[in-house]
Amino acid sequence: MVVVERDVRTFFRFKVLIIMRAIWFAAQVAFFGLIASRMVVPELADIYFEYYVAGVVVMMLYSASVFIGYDIFEEAEHGVFEYLLSLPISRRELVLGRSIGGGIRSFMLVGPLIAITLFVIGLANPLNLLIALSALFLFAFGVSGMSITIAVTLKSGDRFDIFMGVLNALIVRLSTAMYPQAFVQQASLTYAEISRFNPVTFASDMFRWGTGIEKYFTVTPMPLAAILGLVLFFFAFTIVGVTFYEKRLEGGGWQ
Amino acid sequence: MKAVLHVIEHDFRNFLRYKWWLAGLISMNLADLLIMAVVYNQMVNPQIINLKSYLNFFAPGVTVLGLFASAFMIGREINMEVRRQIHHYLLSLPITRFELALGRLLAGGLRGMMYMSPLLLTTFIFVGFPSLLQLLAILAALFLLATGISGLSIVTAVSTTSFEKFVTARGLVYYVLFFCSSIFYPLSLIQTLGKEGVMPQAIVVLAEINPLSSGADLIRSFLLGNPPFALEMVRNLIAFFIVFTITATFGYMKIVERA
Repeated sequence: MVVVERDVRTFFRFKVLIIMRAIWFAAQVAFFGLIASRMVVPELADIYFEYYVAGVVVMMLYSASVFIGYDIFEEAEHGVFEYLLSLPISRRELVLGRSIGGGIRSFMLVGPLIAITLFVIGLANPLNLLIALSALFLFAFGVSGMSITIAVTLKSGDRFDIFMGVLNALIVRLSTAMYPQAFVQQASLTYAEISRFNPVTFASDMFRWGTGIEKYFTVTPMPLAAILGLVLFFFAFTIVGVTFYEKRLEGGGWQ
Repeated sequence: MKAVLHVIEHDFRNFLRYKWWLAGLISMNLADLLIMAVVYNQMVNPQIINLKSYLNFFAPGVTVLGLFASAFMIGREINMEVRRQIHHYLLSLPITRFELALGRLLAGGLRGMMYMSPLLLTTFIFVGFPSLLQLLAILAALFLLATGISGLSIVTAVSTTSFEKFVTARGLVYYVLFFCSSIFYPLSLIQTLGKEGVMPQAIVVLAEINPLSSGADLIRSFLLGNPPFALEMVRNLIAFFIVFTITATFGYMKIVERA
């Protein structure tokens, strides 16, 4: 809990990041979402704005959860690692705390935007939304775990920055955050296969299910299939994250 | 002139140091083109974009997107130099203030042109090759755009006192100019939304005079014939170039002389 609290406090130092993300969200919704919804084919036109706005929330959650990896590099650069290692906390508790802290703080950032989204697209069933948000917590923890795993594997700030940029470009575009699976399939079967097993797709489906946008689900049966995908993603990266973090935390080599 | 070339060379060497950053940026631009645009190709109503393929529509847009991001990088370097007071060293060089400012401005623009070249070539491969005259017109227009963007980034850099403020201002400029332009969607659609009252008139005007709209539409007019070429496109690019070249040159000269 102490580790979680520390990570949440650290996050609010990055005011610029929070402002930037808010501007990005506003631009995505007010410009791209609105205009693109008038550009799409008629069968999609009536739902695309709501569909896209829900996807933007998941994209935001993903990019905010990734940020924990950048914190790790800053700590390595300033020698905070040695201090953390000297604390009476096991390595396992440290990485679990960091993973959960990363997830919670990204939820704190995205929370107000989820409220705005619900105001824009409405809410069909509060219970569904609660289930969806719980599943999105797992998604956020999983992405934080993934970011920590990649950070401690690469041990280079530059390489991490580039790798995450490329991964972000691919993982978001090869998902159903921006477009329904039916159209991805029409475009390319390879893209469709990747999109089907993408955690961003599970999270997007889950949030749309929670807000009542029930057309164009990728995985079935909903919500079980999406929850299962997110649980697997969470466990995979939390376990891998803990193992890697424990093994590679010591010994230096940070660039 | 020789001094200006030295400054340009210095900035080009710096640019090539960011090879990982450049690799990341180009992969993001290509992901936009080869994944996002390919899927949107299936979703977009051809009657609205007045073209059969969204991929063809978006390819010139992504070229301008790449040009913008790379030409804007000079601002980040100048902001860092001002914060760390490296400009004191630059002032000690046997180069006039004007030459230094002009060199930085041109270097920013030329770096953008260099980065954008493979994207422009990809656009030609997708959409078709222009005639020699059209190619020269496209390159001239993109040079005006790139130098104007370089000027805009220098103005942003010298107007902000901290890195955080620079990053915030840059984000605002990026998103407003990207999304409020014809990079992703046709200008005619934004104008229609303006007439319907969905989009505020100020946004419509901004999209019309946005140099990114003019740059992307100018390439489209030569390669696709749609939208048709209009003198307003050239006028917007020249106005943008003049305003930000002058402002950036004098802004930079003033900031480096500040104690």
